[in-house]
Amino acid sequence: MTGGVSLAVDIGGTFTDLIAYDHARGELRHAKSLTTPQDLVEGILDCLELSGSALDRTDALVHGSTIAINTVLERTGAATGLVVTHGTRDTYAIGRGNRPDAYRLFFKRPKPLVPQQRTFEVPERMLASGEVELELDEEAVVRIAGELRDAEVDAVAVCLLHAYANPAHEQRVGEILRRELPGRYVSLSHEVLREYREYERTSTTVVNAYIGPVVGRYLEGLQTRLEGQSFAGTLWLMQSNGGVASVAGAAHKPVAMLESGPVGGIIGAAHVASGLGFRDVVAFDMGGTTAKASLIRDGVPSVADGYHVGGYSEGQPVRSPVVDIVEVGTGGGSIAWLDEVGGLKVGPRSAGAEPGPIAYGRGGTQPTITDANVVLGRIRADGFLGGRMALDEAGALTGITEQVAVPLGLDPIQAAHGIIEIAIAKMALAVREVSVARGHDPRDFVLLASGGAGPLHAVAIARALSLPKVIVPRFPGHFSAAGMLVTDQQHDLVRTILAAAGENGARVLEAYRSLVADASSRLGAGAADARFEASVDMRYRGQDFSLAVPTNEEELGEPALISVRKRFDEVHLRRYGHQAPDEDAELVNVRLRVVVQRDKPSMRLQAPNGRRDPTPRRVAVHLDASGDAAEVALHLREQLAAGDRIEGPALIQESASTTVLSEGDSCEVARGGELVITLLEARDR
Amino acid sequence: MTTPTRREVDPITLEVIRNAVPSISDEMSAALQRASYNMMIYEVRDYCCALVMPNGDLISQNVGGVSHFVADLGVIIVDAIKRHGLDGFDPGDVLITNHQAVAGQHLNNVVVYVPVFVAGELECFSMTRAHWIDVGGLSTGFGSGAPGNDPWIEGLQLNQLKLHRAGVPDESLLQVLRDNIRFPESSLGDLRAQIAACRLGADRVEELYLKYGSEVVVAGIDQIFDESEARCRAVVGEIPDGVYEASSFMDRSAGPPIDLHARVTVEGTDMTIDLSGCSQQRIDPVNARTLAGSMVAYKCLTTPDDPVNAGSFRALTTIIPEGNIMMARFPAPMANWSLVLPTVIDTILRALAPTVSDRIPAAHLGTLGGIVVFVGKEPDTDRPFVLMSIEGGGWGGRPHEDGESASVSVCQGDVRNASIESIELRYPVVVERRQLRPDSGGAGLHRGGLGVEVEVRNLVPGRWALMQSGRNGCPPWGLWGGGDGMPADNLLVLPGAAPERVDNARQEVPSFARATIMTAGGGGWGSPFERAPARVLQDVIEGAVSVEAAERDYGVVIDPLGPAVDEPATAAARRADRPSLNDA
Repeated sequence: MTGGVSLAVDIGGTFTDLIAYDHARGELRHAKSLTTPQDLVEGILDCLELSGSALDRTDALVHGSTIAINTVLERTGAATGLVVTHGTRDTYAIGRGNRPDAYRLFFKRPKPLVPQQRTFEVPERMLASGEVELELDEEAVVRIAGELRDAEVDAVAVCLLHAYANPAHEQRVGEILRRELPGRYVSLSHEVLREYREYERTSTTVVNAYIGPVVGRYLEGLQTRLEGQSFAGTLWLMQSNGGVASVAGAAHKPVAMLESGPVGGIIGAAHVASGLGFRDVVAFDMGGTTAKASLIRDGVPSVADGYHVGGYSEGQPVRSPVVDIVEVGTGGGSIAWLDEVGGLKVGPRSAGAEPGPIAYGRGGTQPTITDANVVLGRIRADGFLGGRMALDEAGALTGITEQVAVPLGLDPIQAAHGIIEIAIAKMALAVREVSVARGHDPRDFVLLASGGAGPLHAVAIARALSLPKVIVPRFPGHFSAAGMLVTDQQHDLVRTILAAAGENGARVLEAYRSLVADASSRLGAGAADARFEASVDMRYRGQDFSLAVPTNEEELGEPALISVRKRFDEVHLRRYGHQAPDEDAELVNVRLRVVVQRDKPSMRLQAPNGRRDPTPRRVAVHLDASGDAAEVALHLREQLAAGDRIEGPALIQESASTTVLSEGDSCEVARGGELVITLLEARDR
Repeated sequence: MTTPTRREVDPITLEVIRNAVPSISDEMSAALQRASYNMMIYEVRDYCCALVMPNGDLISQNVGGVSHFVADLGVIIVDAIKRHGLDGFDPGDVLITNHQAVAGQHLNNVVVYVPVFVAGELECFSMTRAHWIDVGGLSTGFGSGAPGNDPWIEGLQLNQLKLHRAGVPDESLLQVLRDNIRFPESSLGDLRAQIAACRLGADRVEELYLKYGSEVVVAGIDQIFDESEARCRAVVGEIPDGVYEASSFMDRSAGPPIDLHARVTVEGTDMTIDLSGCSQQRIDPVNARTLAGSMVAYKCLTTPDDPVNAGSFRALTTIIPEGNIMMARFPAPMANWSLVLPTVIDTILRALAPTVSDRIPAAHLGTLGGIVVFVGKEPDTDRPFVLMSIEGGGWGGRPHEDGESASVSVCQGDVRNASIESIELRYPVVVERRQLRPDSGGAGLHRGGLGVEVEVRNLVPGRWALMQSGRNGCPPWGLWGGGDGMPADNLLVLPGAAPERVDNARQEVPSFARATIMTAGGGGWGSPFERAPARVLQDVIEGAVSVEAAERDYGVVIDPLGPAVDEPATAAARRADRPSLNDA
């Protein structure tokens, strides 16, 4: 890639963020504008203008969007029909029968996206072995197509029993429906997810069909608008799995872009940390309403096989690889409040961006984490958003005093400190959940902090969990967009096989090779540059949950699969603290990840320019709960040069964030401008 | 342990402890579930994880799985201290028990626990209770038994034994376990997962206690108990003082019905639930020693979303005399120990319906789900297998909306059915259908949810567990004029024979028999004649209500061509006499 520009655009609910990398000049620029819901492209064009980038010079535009997830959450998708195997019309409505809110008499079950009367049974039956028990009644499919037409559906999901084992009937149903219902979006379960468990596969396929027409129209419109603005490069869509897909790929499987928004930052975290030599990382992002933690091991973000859109209790299950994120309701806007028995709580209610914290002066009346930071002097009224937004310090102090400190018999500084301490404890639990709780030693990991509020609290969280180092990347407040620039094209395929591990090497290898063939035909010429990563899901005979075991084609060629089996025992031991090498093990699924690398900006070579003030201003900050403020140095991030060292206590302030160092912590500015902080406790090691 | 003075923990540390403690039991739960070997743990989540003080007070317990496992491990610790003494434990000990004289449940529920030492002091116990697929005797599957059983027939009894002493496993005891259970691979795998979960809990407790100091943590926990109690009291305080009563019963094929009676007394912020009016202990294995009936009802009413701890039940008094079916004396058989609980809980709620009408739904399915159990041998290997699934049923109509369909009982939370595809992948059966049962929901202004019916064909000879629910005579009741839900049932079709109703826990069948398991619908809430005809029409379109039932139960006449509401006919039908239905 020469001379061109790479763009990444993250369209969120409130703001559209753009990061532009000019390959010729080696420049990285950022712009932010208000999201324009009526015409999202307007927001992109605004950003382009602000950043001084030109679409006609742009080779690649990576786009992360919340359109897919919002369509599900707001239930604004297509009128969708569902075709299932005879006897299973209600499988989707019945679900798994569970009630996660165990003591709630008025619990809610997930609300199906397809009503009962648009669900049709077709006579046919496959067995788990893939053998046909009952042939497909094709005439019935034609009749059903007529009823779907009468019901004026725009999309149809098809999920037949055991289609993961033998998709022949599903394929035939698909052919008939596409013939009979031209122009409708038809989604077949084995194309979306070739994995057993009919409810989860049905739900995933239904979500795919439900959002298919909406996402398709959006992508088409976006492409047309961009081309109208002389864009001749490639449009890439950010996927939940951390990779990007082409417009055609995303339109075929929109369910894979549900978490398009937040994952960019995690990919960016892996990239930035790897560039600094750190391969084991906890990516930590704290925004206005929530904080998120994700694990990166050996440079690779951990990926879950699925999740529930809208929460575990009431949400729609979706089985599609998604960067594994643990989220807690603790963001800068989280409200501190006292419950009915006088306990101090922080979040999950948030003042959001409107009215926002008291300090924003936009009508917020309840004290938030941001207000506590203002009271403690960690967020400076004079430097917020580069000085463009004034902060109401007095209001924040009054709010915390009246609503928290006085009722609890504390002084305001203790109260503000307490709010932050509680928030840090909650966020530390999230970080712990992705690290310690999964069998990893936190002392081997570094914390990479992003989000506007992330750098404020990162050092304290790292300290609470004994992580030795914290990294604050450049553009921490716009890091999701920045991360999108360094993504690769990535596809995840799966096939259920369920076989004893000891004797089925040939079968497993065959399944793997068919996945490779599938992927290669999908990629076409691009397959030549692709990297193929194999893994198998394994468990001990009798277990249900399986663990992913990384492997390769050579190992899958072993008749008794001894290498894979041995690695599974090790993975089980690390994850759960015990293993059973003498017991039978089973292979459940074979997985293939295909990665095609894209050209990336070398972000770490971006050195900031600016001269550091030799005698930084000293400001009063409360770093602990004692009543006394300490005088600490206030550094401006844009003035820091590679190689600079800063000893704590100190504040490092930038436009959208502030980094807090405590006594004894030491910060070094890396070549790319990242802050690399070594905690006091780790300095002697 | 010291007895701390009140309110010595600052509110910030207190909140940190409050967040940290439940996360320990949740983490134990996740570890146990994911590494377990039987579907009773990974799908049915028939287990619990808890931290318990040496005095038996519950510090924290996971929520989500089986809700009737609630604050019920304390008695085991009180008993353990009595036997072994406060100084009778060493770091590295692992104890195991399922003995009914204290544990009070069926023998499949095996409790494994470890003492937690911090800086040499015994601070608490880290515990798990989990349903093993087999503990010998007649215990295979859900632990079904026949009248006249006793605990020795039911299975292997483990009475507060040290499985590990100071880190050294007792190989003889392990061998006894291995030799006396039918699926040693599965159950010893579960045992390993339980021990690992207990140790994980112990590690987390140690971290927490070391970080803040034992005295602070213990004082904080004490304060959290006080606050939990205060929250419950605040809710009960809003209920008008009075004595509220309700009755129900369960029929049994052997012997007289089981009478159930709840007398709930509210006095200020105190609640007393008196279950003395329930039947005495029986010779059939439906006995237990459990306070779960009153505790689950109380928890649902007071603080359903809060974590469970000892404070959650301090303001509740439960009266169950010795010899009652829920306070049975050893050696009463307990194989189906939890059978009565869902109905007991509904009866307690029903007692309160007249006084807090906006909080109480009509009755739900009232059983621990539709139990799908088939035992056979794999054709190729001759290895025995047990197919199990739990099917949900209908919940009662609510004061503001319809009841949910196909959901597990009030005693079960995050309990999942087995998917058709995973059943067929593992076992030689074909699931012919899994459907909602039309017309099973009680009619009402707010309709009861629908039950489920599942039909399974076995491809090999084996044994079905097909018991009647015991709720035919007293089906899930409606409230405020709502109709009853349709009771559960089951049918068996032997090759070449007509369908027959069965009530047999161990029904031997040849290949190609078909069993249908049906769960009850929920009761209706409010008069069905007040349900908008358009809603009834929608029910008909969706298949929840038949055209006949629409007319019979709701007085709504549907023209099947359309379909549409026949307005004049409906008006006429609704003017006619209303059916006589339940009052609250």
